[in-house]
Amino acid sequence: MAIVNLQNVTYKYPLTESLALNNINLQVNEGEFVAIVGPNGAGKSTLCYTLAGFVPHFFKGELTGMVEVAGVESQKSKLHEWVLNVGLAFQNPFNQISGAKYTVYEELAFGLENIGIPRDEIKIRVEDAMSLTGIRDLADRSPYSLSGGQQQRVALTSILVMQPKVLVLDEPTSQMDPIGTREVFGVIRQMAHRGLTVILVEHKVEWIANFADRVVALKDGSILLEGTPSEVLTSDLLAENGFGISRYTSVARKAKAQGLWKKERLPVTLDEAVEGFALTPGPSPEGRGE
Amino acid sequence: MEITISNLQFSYPAGVHALRGISLEINSGEQVAIVGQNGAGKTTLVKHFNGLLQPTSGSVLIGDWDTTKYSVSKLARRVGYVFQNPDEQLFCKTVGEEVAFGPKNLGYDKARVESLAKDALAMTELSEKTETNPYDLSATWRKMVALASIIAMDTDIVIFDEPTTGQDAVNVARIAHVVKTLRERGKTVITITHDIDFCAENFERVIALSQGKVLLDGQANDVLGQEEILATTYVDPPQLTRLGKRLGFKQTVRNQEEFLTALKG
Amino acid sequence: MHERLSFYVHRESFLHHLNPLTKLTLVLGLILVAFMAPFYWTPHFLILFAIIPLGFLGRVAYQYFNAALKLILPAAGFLFIMQALFQPFEGQELFRFYFLHPTLESVMFAFSNATRIIVMVSSFTLLLLTTHPSELMSDLTRRGLPPQFAYVIISTLQILPQMQAKAQTIIAAQRSRGLDTDGSFVKRVGALVPLVGPLVFGSLVEVEERAIAIEARGFTSTHPKTSLREIPDSNLDRIIRWFLVVIVIVTVGLKIWLS
Repeated sequence: MAIVNLQNVTYKYPLTESLALNNINLQVNEGEFVAIVGPNGAGKSTLCYTLAGFVPHFFKGELTGMVEVAGVESQKSKLHEWVLNVGLAFQNPFNQISGAKYTVYEELAFGLENIGIPRDEIKIRVEDAMSLTGIRDLADRSPYSLSGGQQQRVALTSILVMQPKVLVLDEPTSQMDPIGTREVFGVIRQMAHRGLTVILVEHKVEWIANFADRVVALKDGSILLEGTPSEVLTSDLLAENGFGISRYTSVARKAKAQGLWKKERLPVTLDEAVEGFALTPGPSPEGRGE
Repeated sequence: MEITISNLQFSYPAGVHALRGISLEINSGEQVAIVGQNGAGKTTLVKHFNGLLQPTSGSVLIGDWDTTKYSVSKLARRVGYVFQNPDEQLFCKTVGEEVAFGPKNLGYDKARVESLAKDALAMTELSEKTETNPYDLSATWRKMVALASIIAMDTDIVIFDEPTTGQDAVNVARIAHVVKTLRERGKTVITITHDIDFCAENFERVIALSQGKVLLDGQANDVLGQEEILATTYVDPPQLTRLGKRLGFKQTVRNQEEFLTALKG
Repeated sequence: MHERLSFYVHRESFLHHLNPLTKLTLVLGLILVAFMAPFYWTPHFLILFAIIPLGFLGRVAYQYFNAALKLILPAAGFLFIMQALFQPFEGQELFRFYFLHPTLESVMFAFSNATRIIVMVSSFTLLLLTTHPSELMSDLTRRGLPPQFAYVIISTLQILPQMQAKAQTIIAAQRSRGLDTDGSFVKRVGALVPLVGPLVFGSLVEVEERAIAIEARGFTSTHPKTSLREIPDSNLDRIIRWFLVVIVIVTVGLKIWLS
């Protein structure tokens, strides 16, 4: 049963000519983990804002088609009701900190206070979410004293406590260093394990390949390609259209052209590449590079 | 123009001992990537190259200029510095004006300012956006405007701080093209980066910092192959280097050509 | 860079456990009595028998005296000297030094005024030392202060230091482009545009993103808000508040009756 249902969604920002989203049709099932890839300007963030209700309620502009989550239509809903169903986190962790709270614990409670959750339940929810994302040790720190990766984990947790039906994450690791990236993906992995419905925009394709059920490739506001991570991320179309692709994929594509990659499907991850290249005939691995 | 760093130590006023004795020579026309975990001292180090920070002890020479004897705006003749966030420097109404701002500050005549700006805009593929307001551009294009505005200053040394963070594949390729063009012109390019694959594909020399000291310094292949040592400053080897290791290659590979050559044996 | 603009000192004390509104009433009561009471020595009396004991009662006497010595007394002292020397009161001249000829009356007046200022600033200081800003705002919001208003106050306090850091980066970035920020006045004014432009634009982007972020966490929800912090409001609080109101009324009454 699709929890997210977009039909013929087309959108134009105010005062602009071009379509930011052009006839998008997308269904996401409950518990599914969908990754969205695409070059800059493909409409990824706009799609996130549309799912999270900020298009059209915050950005205005012209939206046509139907955006439906859990059986409710976005256009017929109010933003403050809509956000209870769809949680949104985005790139810059610093700007996601409310600024109204002095500790991480209070920061996590902020959203729950806003929607009138009783105190005892706030505490339960905050503590559960902190355990899930592994930030218990940060509880008493000031959100402003944290590293980028820690701040982003706090931002993700602050959305998790709201217990939305769908989580929308717009490039949560794009501003992160390698440690921050690993930390944030650790949290996302937990979400995937818990069977949450997650829609993740992400450039780092090797990570996507590890836990997405499905990948949607977006280009110029339209869906170019949709399928399993392996199908989509190794497609020639992606390389031709300026998408970020794994180095393993591109080197294997070259190798294949020279007859040095024997498998049908190109690799996305290191393990797939190792497995595939092991089949390559030639000198024994020990002899290579001498 | 060479950079000579002798026993550089630096402590922040709050007391953090950020650089603990760094000595380096960077020759004219070298392409150097500086890697290492946050807090290793990368940005603190390069901020010494154009005088934004002054050594607590030791010295930094840019050519024959001791950085303690010249102001930042004077050192800007020799060292261009592209900050990580373009939004921290863009303020003009058009891309063209923005790019001309630096060379104008350096006091170049009108004709030279124009030709430098034109050239920098071409290198960054911005020629058709000269009349656009930088803030009407996407964040990735604003990054290119920031690059162009420093390149137009025609300095012998250009520093990039995390140029690829938040950029898509197309823009990373544009930035790689800029680095390559600068190399062909004999410029020294120094880049701080967490993007180890970008580092592997575009830089000949790699310096790994850890806790304010030089951990590794040398040819990219030599440095990037040192998996265990790099791990201590939280740097993973590049993807193809890791793949080569897993496949049992004897030598370190860091780009597609090297990988395919080694694969053929 | 991560300092917070909050004076709050965490302690377990009678004052800490009072309701924020009670403490706010206490502050306003002290100020009104200090300024309205018809007796000359009232503000001095308040310092000795209200402010200082309250500092000990709230277990923040050390922090209070620290602030008093470094900030409140110097400011009040300055005010005292200025008023004593320059207030043109007729009366018994104390001494004459060129054009200065302070009178006993002007000194008395200045002394009383400076003491009132000390009472005012001290009582606010005690409030800030013993009341967590979130608690104060939550309590006032619960009593009808618009949450947007409370949010703006607290977030500004927290975000200002971050803005400062950002301004430093912008200055560094523009100097790296050859912008000369030292030198003549005209040069410095000219250098303002490249500094202010990015700061303003950056702030606009930040404000929009922050608006989205807090909206995504139900900030404009129409539900009555709850509070993580348990904010005490006992019968004792109510008694103290009414007691303070009565004292203020009596003071005002005395002032009218005696004048």
